[in-house]
Amino acid sequence: MRVLLIEDEERLAENIMAALRETGLAVDHAPDGKTGSYLAQQDVYDAIVLDLMLPLKSGQLVLRDLRREKLHTPVLILTAQEGKASIVELLNAGADDYLSKPFDLGELLARVKALIRRAKGVSTPVLEVADLELNTVQQLVRRRGQTLDLSPTEYRILEYLIHRPRAIVSKQELLEHLYDFEWEHHSNVIEAHVSNLRRKLNIAGTEPLIETLRHRGYRLREERHA
Amino acid sequence: MIRSISLTRRLTLTVLLLEVLCALALIGAITIHERHTQLRAFDATLQATAYSLMGAVQDADDEADNVLLDMRGVQLGRDAIFRVQEGNGKVLGSKGDLPQLKGSISDAAPFRNVDVHGRSYRFILLHGLRIVDPGTPGGGVPHAVTIIYGTPVDHVWHEVVEAIRFFAIATAILLGFTAAGMVFLLRAGLAPLRELAYEAERITSISWQFEAPASAKELKELWPLAQALEAALARLQRSFQQQKRFTSDAAHELKTDVAIVKSSLQLLSMRRRTADEYTRGLDLILDDFVRLEMTVQKMLTLARLEQPAESSPQVCSLREVIEEAVHQSMPFAEIKEVSVVVQIADDVHIPVDRRDAVLLCSNILLNALQHSPAGSTVRVELAFKEGTARLTVRDEGEGIQEEDRSHLFEPFYRGDSSRSRKSGGTGLGLSICKAICERAGGSIEIANSPAGGALVTVTLPSAPAGVDHPVSAWIKQA
Repeated sequence: MRVLLIEDEERLAENIMAALRETGLAVDHAPDGKTGSYLAQQDVYDAIVLDLMLPLKSGQLVLRDLRREKLHTPVLILTAQEGKASIVELLNAGADDYLSKPFDLGELLARVKALIRRAKGVSTPVLEVADLELNTVQQLVRRRGQTLDLSPTEYRILEYLIHRPRAIVSKQELLEHLYDFEWEHHSNVIEAHVSNLRRKLNIAGTEPLIETLRHRGYRLREERHA
Repeated sequence: MIRSISLTRRLTLTVLLLEVLCALALIGAITIHERHTQLRAFDATLQATAYSLMGAVQDADDEADNVLLDMRGVQLGRDAIFRVQEGNGKVLGSKGDLPQLKGSISDAAPFRNVDVHGRSYRFILLHGLRIVDPGTPGGGVPHAVTIIYGTPVDHVWHEVVEAIRFFAIATAILLGFTAAGMVFLLRAGLAPLRELAYEAERITSISWQFEAPASAKELKELWPLAQALEAALARLQRSFQQQKRFTSDAAHELKTDVAIVKSSLQLLSMRRRTADEYTRGLDLILDDFVRLEMTVQKMLTLARLEQPAESSPQVCSLREVIEEAVHQSMPFAEIKEVSVVVQIADDVHIPVDRRDAVLLCSNILLNALQHSPAGSTVRVELAFKEGTARLTVRDEGEGIQEEDRSHLFEPFYRGDSSRSRKSGGTGLGLSICKAICERAGGSIEIANSPAGGALVTVTLPSAPAGVDHPVSAWIKQA
């Protein structure tokens, strides 16, 4: 999952980025409203954390323009302003959630994850596909009660696929949503990770979960073949 | 408790009192006039009756050519007293008990007031000559006749009292009407005052809307009050809003700084970390904390400077202050590779606390250095003219935007909107400068210099020179 952070306060941005990365999210940072607005409209993010007081373009405008472009990326607003009126206004303008400064970093992470889940049509932190169980809070994966030991990237690929059951996810999409700009990446990196993931998921007596469709991408099979 | 005074009652009572005084004066004048008129009429009656008495002295038609008093046709006044006497003392006729008039009555002053049996009488003395048989040779027999006639004067006083009573009653009725009229008119006249008070009463700390009612504005006497109220409220509202904005900006600033410290701590405690990571994290947190501390400190400085000065300010040498500020900012200037040129024509003493003066100068200087490109020069000049010190700081940066100019001294305003907090500082530096200048009765302004770059001009009144305060020496040591 890839998150865009639009925050002009450098130290705060550093901390939020570090925290989001530590929970396994890819993060891009925009230090002003203009850059933020441009990046947000690339539609490669699973969530946006948006500060309101931004140089060049205010958070409100970034949000408005994003929704005008018919982009439904969930947006979490960071605000230091008091008053319910502005919050109501923001939620009505298309914000999905808000946090008042000074906020709790843990709460920010939980809310971002909840927003991503909900945007993908899932409301619980534990996702289940066939005999596979994925706990997004503890970042644990079990198959038939057996805990699997996945690398962070493998976990993120699996998490992304589980969030999009039955859909064909291209390598490009995986790249876009799993890596931020700070990563050196090639599409064959994905292939390697997917092949490792498939191997780890393949425990005795189970069917392969990840399907490869040539030149199109990957798909998570939801039901076992009869 | 303050005794309340009713303007209506006061004015009404004053007018009534004046009216009563006027009425009393009038009644006094009328009394004198009436008495005079009545006495004149009385005297005329006395005289007429005395003449008719004289006319009643007639030839007795006897041998001795005597005269007698024929009272037929003579109308005497009520309770009249008279005596008709011949020159030889022969009384021709009399009525009543004539008192002794002594020699006080004469032809020159023929009237005389005398009390008779406790009653006040007024007498007239009339001398006449009656000639019996004036047609006979020898001219007839002359008889000198003296008439004294008097009637009681209380009648006159009765008339006067009647006149006074009439005027007194008329005055009382007039007073009544005046009082009623005054109360009514004053009530109606003061209505705009009540309306103004009602409007003013509706002002609360939330709703500052105040517009004096039209009725109050129309009144020439109330207009200044209405105007003053409106102006005062507008000023109050402005300063209230300024305070409110400052508070909200300050809260925003503090919240951001606190958010940074908090997130740094929480990031560090998210999971177990190595000793190196902890050390690095703690260093960062300390930096974040120092920034929070700086923000608080600047806010407190600004709050202190915006309070009116408690005692007469200290005096310090502006030259020394500038030298110290330049010395302080040298490391920063060296990092930015900017040279600072100082030109001081004359030393001036300014009525500013030395610490504040150094803060003022170093703030302006750091601001100029911040906006200077590498290799450029910042020029500091001090000139003294007509009792004011003029300090100018000129940089060779990109200057200031016209739209920012009016906001530059507002707290938390950061000129270039693309500049974030990192380079813009807390946004309080220039506000602090302005507060220092205004507290000392001076001013500060920023303009673009013709040569390009920003030009800061500080104007300060000079303090009486030669005053050397031990405080400046003390700070220097510190």
